[in-house]
Amino acid sequence: MSGITNWRSLLRRPPTGDWAVFTFSIVWCLGVLLPMAGVVLFSFVRVSAEGLDLNFTLNAYREIFLTGRWEVTARTIRIAATVTAILLLISFPFALWLAKGLRSTTWKIVIWTLLTAPFFLSDTARVVIWRPVLGLMGPINSGLMELGLIERPLTWLLFSEPAVHFGLLGPFLPNMVWPIFLSLILIDDDLIEASKDIGASPWQTLRHVILPLSMPGILAGIIFSFVPMLGDDVVAKVIGGQQVLMLGGAMLDLITALNYSVAAAMSALILAIIAALQLLIVLALRRIGKGASLVEGLRK
Amino acid sequence: MTDALAGAALMRVARRESAMLRLAKAMAIAFGCLGVLLMYGPVAWLALMSVSERPLTGKPGPFTLAWYEKLFADPRWLDPLLTSLGIATIVSILCMITATAVGRTLPHIGRTGAWLLLVFLVVLFVPGVMLGVDFIMFYRLFLGVRTGLWSLIFAHFVWAFPFALLGVLVVAGRFDTRLLESAMDLGAGRWRRFRDIEMPLLFPGILSAGFFGFLLSLNELPRSIYLRGGTTTLPLFQWAEASSHTTMVPLIYGLSTLITIASLGLTIIALRQLFKGGAA
Repeated sequence: MSGITNWRSLLRRPPTGDWAVFTFSIVWCLGVLLPMAGVVLFSFVRVSAEGLDLNFTLNAYREIFLTGRWEVTARTIRIAATVTAILLLISFPFALWLAKGLRSTTWKIVIWTLLTAPFFLSDTARVVIWRPVLGLMGPINSGLMELGLIERPLTWLLFSEPAVHFGLLGPFLPNMVWPIFLSLILIDDDLIEASKDIGASPWQTLRHVILPLSMPGILAGIIFSFVPMLGDDVVAKVIGGQQVLMLGGAMLDLITALNYSVAAAMSALILAIIAALQLLIVLALRRIGKGASLVEGLRK
Repeated sequence: MTDALAGAALMRVARRESAMLRLAKAMAIAFGCLGVLLMYGPVAWLALMSVSERPLTGKPGPFTLAWYEKLFADPRWLDPLLTSLGIATIVSILCMITATAVGRTLPHIGRTGAWLLLVFLVVLFVPGVMLGVDFIMFYRLFLGVRTGLWSLIFAHFVWAFPFALLGVLVVAGRFDTRLLESAMDLGAGRWRRFRDIEMPLLFPGILSAGFFGFLLSLNELPRSIYLRGGTTTLPLFQWAEASSHTTMVPLIYGLSTLITIASLGLTIIALRQLFKGGAA
């Protein structure tokens, strides 16, 4: 009898599936995760085009701080953080309406599609157009001049920090909306009803029911927009021009100049910052005790 | 008397609250419209500019197809396009095979599955540029392998695989493994169980994995910059031309418009597949 039970439980798994998963995981760890870890090692040794010199040194890190590369890192973090905050302000109300306010199925599908498609579109195609639009003779400047609001074209509309901030909003909006939306749609409508029934005002419901329950999604949204934004190399290059150098551009300059040690050190630094952010968020989630629901959200 | 007063006060509060709720809802919708405008305004304007006579002024009008004619008369973009399509096809096939092999098992091995999912998704937490730098250092400097077509395919696959896996998991998570048991009881062999039962049921997920792989590879830029070797893909070509100030820029508008329309169409097909599979 017990033999049959074992036989059955073995069958419950798809045939040979475990073997495939095992092999693929090993290959993935060796081919993908190992190079990521390797960069941390490379940042502590001398790397040149000829190869590695395996003597421990902190030169690369010293160079980051001495040559002003630290400023590029700090600027990138500042811009990414600001844009993430703006995105959060725009996305939360929108996601809440999408998850709990909108009833029409047709519109839901339309908006979901609109929010998903950008993941598969080329960033360059969407960013390049801002150049003529925001330019000196562009429609915005000439429109404002025709209205008599300004006398001279605004020079800061293009190749400036405000332009980069603005340009980053569109491409990264779906990264923020999706996780928040997923966490909001998981909240049981009954909980919101119950909160209303016991006399909570809409704001109290938002503050004490919806906000804590959607926190995993909000934090995931912050990660999924902040992290890729750190590495953005389209917006800064195309509409930031020479004025706003960000990490993506700085990294390319380093690799082009064969300065691998410093590139490795900057990469390791960013990895450390991302890991620290991740850790903070995991700790925050543990305090709320809702860490598991994100995985469930992903599986939905 | 006091009851009536209290009732009136409550009514006032309720009315004020519902007015505020309406305002909040209107604000949420306004933010949503702003978001959609930020995402699709540039695409629409790009399409408009690609049929305008002087696209570099940013102002629409007088409309003409002259830029498209020039685009087809100057097919320097053809080679990058063919390269990209080739890479995207290979990545798409790789994604379908691996995402199916991994995705069909992952939901049924409990905690290990959740941990492994994290291992596969961890690359999404690293900016693409960093991953490109990591790969080039490890493979070219450390292992001494020349970059080229293989490294582009590899980098695109690493980028696309997590999405492909999620696509398969959406469907595989709902797969009832008892179906396989019944098939076995009825005498179906291992291969028949997979071909006649599992694969058809997982097909929407597998197909969307393929679409995701294709589209993500077709438009991938940050990793390609580092791992291109001597190869030029279409996004690399667009990127180089778009940030230059050459006469090619208006042609890029037309090219980007065409690619964007094609990508949008494929995305909608993929989502419909996934949605149908998810609903079934």
